[in-house]
Amino acid sequence: MSRSFTKFWSAARIALVFPLLTLFLTGCGVNNIPTYQELAKAKWSDVLNQYQRRSDLIPNLVETVKGIAQQERTVFEAVTEARARATSVQVNADTITDPETFKKFQEAQAQLSGALGRLLAVSENYPDLKSSQNFLTLQSQLEGTENRIAVARHDYIEAVRLYNTELSTFPGRIWAAILYRSNKPMEEFTVDDSVKVAPQVKFN
Amino acid sequence: MTLRRAIITAIAWIGLTCAASAQSLVFPTLTGRVVDEAGLLEQADRAALTETLAALEAQTTDQVIVVTLKSLQGRTIEDYGFQLGRHWQIGQKDKNNGALLIVAPAEHAVRIEVGYGLEGDLTDAVSKFIIENAILPHFKAGDFPDGIKRGVDDIVEVLTGDAGGLKRAAQKKAAADRTADAPAWPMIILILGGIFLIIYCATRGGGFCRGLSQILLVMLLSGRGSRGGNGDGPTWSGGGGSFGGGGASGRW
Repeated sequence: MSRSFTKFWSAARIALVFPLLTLFLTGCGVNNIPTYQELAKAKWSDVLNQYQRRSDLIPNLVETVKGIAQQERTVFEAVTEARARATSVQVNADTITDPETFKKFQEAQAQLSGALGRLLAVSENYPDLKSSQNFLTLQSQLEGTENRIAVARHDYIEAVRLYNTELSTFPGRIWAAILYRSNKPMEEFTVDDSVKVAPQVKFN
Repeated sequence: MTLRRAIITAIAWIGLTCAASAQSLVFPTLTGRVVDEAGLLEQADRAALTETLAALEAQTTDQVIVVTLKSLQGRTIEDYGFQLGRHWQIGQKDKNNGALLIVAPAEHAVRIEVGYGLEGDLTDAVSKFIIENAILPHFKAGDFPDGIKRGVDDIVEVLTGDAGGLKRAAQKKAAADRTADAPAWPMIILILGGIFLIIYCATRGGGFCRGLSQILLVMLLSGRGSRGGNGDGPTWSGGGGSFGGGGASGRW
């Protein structure tokens, strides 16, 4: 083998090592943590989006029910108040790594779910309401939104599980220690929305 | 040598285990546009529905599936529905324009599950209206085939309506503007380089070089395996669409 060929080889080998190193590191999941983080953030914004959609539906619903069932004032007030409290919790992309705000947000939304559930339960007592096309449309939209919230939460929980697992297991744990030291685990939903504050029925 | 081999094996094992994921729900096989697991439909009904739905897809590319289930496996129909839609990947990949009409006679539940891309046409309110007015009256009378047929007719009517078609055309354009595929050539160069190095190291390299080539070989092979799609012959299948919980349910 000639000398120039050997020289060419050592140069070519160095040129090969860098792309191969990239391939190697990518294969070992060096990009997993930021990828999963972005995924979880996207799922979180979807959750917020769906809660916002519900919040937007409420004034219309309250107005419609008010028109027919005026005497149920306490129920409207509870919904309006719960909605105000839920929207007053400031949430953004950082909320998912902030356990305190996350818990507050979660509780406020669960309370709103409870209040809405009572409003819909009360509506059952008014045949005029149940036959109103406007009310039926709003009700189906609200049901659809509640279901979308459930799906968005499901997707978010899956994404967070993936991300948190990557942070705390091998080999992600090594990458976290070397490259992503500031990455914190994200919060999951702990209170199930369906286990909301039990409706209180009073017979006066 | 033994230590190195152990390390290589460990790394290869990690690479291979990454792909595994658990599936908790059991879904029926997607055998066609009408999946009658609960056995509610006659052969003639199935053929007629399949024809209607195939014509719909030919016209609008929307995929609509009728599915009857023996059991919801302890889930609500809403919970089961979107996961079934995602599992089957109903709807075209870039449009998510799929919908399912799900009937669970054992649980007395029916649902129209709507993919992301059809939520604007087949809205929650419209889906509810179809269920309440076209489907449930027949189901309450115990006439499942008629309820399903009326429901499918209404869904098709909504999806082929002019307003819906126009709206979707606008969305399609917006989606097309957004998606642009990343070029594949850097990956090809890397893979070719990897193959080259594997051959080079395997034939003449030292211990480290040979170890590296083995790892690369395993990585290349496992990468190829996990990307295998569902391109299995001429059977009809879902187009890759996804679901987000849109639609409405009814009970009788």
